[in-house]
Amino acid sequence: MEVDTFADAALARLTEAELAGLLAERARWSLTYGPQDLELVAHALRCILHVERVRAMSAEFEALAGVQHHDGGFAPRSADAESTVWVSAFCALMLIRGNAVLASGPLAQSVRLAVDYFLDTQERDGRWVDPRWADLDTTSHPVSFFNVVLALGETHRRADVERAWRAGLGFILAAQGEDGGWYDAEFHPSGVEITAHLIQDALVAAVLLEDRADVASSCARGLGKLRSVQAASGSWDDDNVDHTMDCVRSSMLVARLLARHAPETLGDLAGGREPDWIDRGLAWILAARNPSGWPDFPGMESNLERSCDGIDTLIKYRAYLGRDPERLARLWGYAR
Amino acid sequence: MRVELELEELPLGSRRLVRAGTVEVAVFNLDGEIFAVNNVCPHRGGPLIRGLVQRTEAGPFVRCPMHGWAFCMTSGASVRPGRAIVYPVALHGERIAIEVEAGPFEVPR
Repeated sequence: MEVDTFADAALARLTEAELAGLLAERARWSLTYGPQDLELVAHALRCILHVERVRAMSAEFEALAGVQHHDGGFAPRSADAESTVWVSAFCALMLIRGNAVLASGPLAQSVRLAVDYFLDTQERDGRWVDPRWADLDTTSHPVSFFNVVLALGETHRRADVERAWRAGLGFILAAQGEDGGWYDAEFHPSGVEITAHLIQDALVAAVLLEDRADVASSCARGLGKLRSVQAASGSWDDDNVDHTMDCVRSSMLVARLLARHAPETLGDLAGGREPDWIDRGLAWILAARNPSGWPDFPGMESNLERSCDGIDTLIKYRAYLGRDPERLARLWGYAR
Repeated sequence: MRVELELEELPLGSRRLVRAGTVEVAVFNLDGEIFAVNNVCPHRGGPLIRGLVQRTEAGPFVRCPMHGWAFCMTSGASVRPGRAIVYPVALHGERIAIEVEAGPFEVPR
């Protein structure tokens, strides 16, 4: 499907086509069919949330709650026994956001159990640890979950959540580099993906929730870092589709929220008509697409996880074009 | 299953993706030493052929371009909870021979 990058109707058609493809592959990601890779499940459920099919697919959210462990966490593969932080946060995010629609008692109990899990697993310096991910990346996900817990008004252990949330934010803020990026020598030497994750998943919600000037300034510096390392083609990290999608999504949210809540932090990032680096990134993503779905790098075969990221990016880009920061923030769960 | 390619197809410092049936193998020529690694990162399936190669005292490592897991190119070992599959390589004159185990080796995504 050829797509005019900036024509909303064309983007809507492409989104529908990709979503139909995802639903046609349901047996490969749905827990209602059996054990699954929970990162993939969470990627798929995020798309279901965006297109407001939660009620029609409530069994997916109930099945996700059904593979939660007694400690409140989840394992990377649903049939495994050991909870790990990163995937637990991604699953918990889907549960709390799904239950904002479903208002189910058992799901609410699962959300509270997940809150307990993250309060129990935080380290003294504010970080969370998962052997599969850099500590900064890992920490960003429980912080993101707590962003949504706070935004949606979940009251379970509220004071403990606020304390843990601030400690997590503090750990991330303290690690920002002089150039505005975050780095991890082992996992993220280029600093691109981790910076994109941290400003959108962990930090920028604090600008909405508490009007935190220090966080707004940190996000603006992170945004500047992302823009400064974009390739002329529009991509990031040597044509990495995943990382380019991360950067585009992050840039859209942070640019819009800062323009509304802390415009003084943006400087020349505010641009003219639109921050054109975002449009160039989106155009590159569309060009990298296969006839069906997205690959990890151009020319490779598509995979479901990346295609879910593509759907997520398209939906968020259409909201970004709508210029309403609150509507955009809802797609991250940061607003009701 | 054996895969063969000519040494001239893999110049010094280059890398090449070859197939053995359904198995993708990332082949690297590091200063004349040839290494063959299954292309699929055991973490999230990232393509190791696109990875950053680093020489260390423990030997060469390839780092997945998706999430940074690094694997020893001689043993497949990693400090992360996964291990890359590496294949024996032999040089027969100007030909490289790689012995590839049968699959499947899949990361569900």
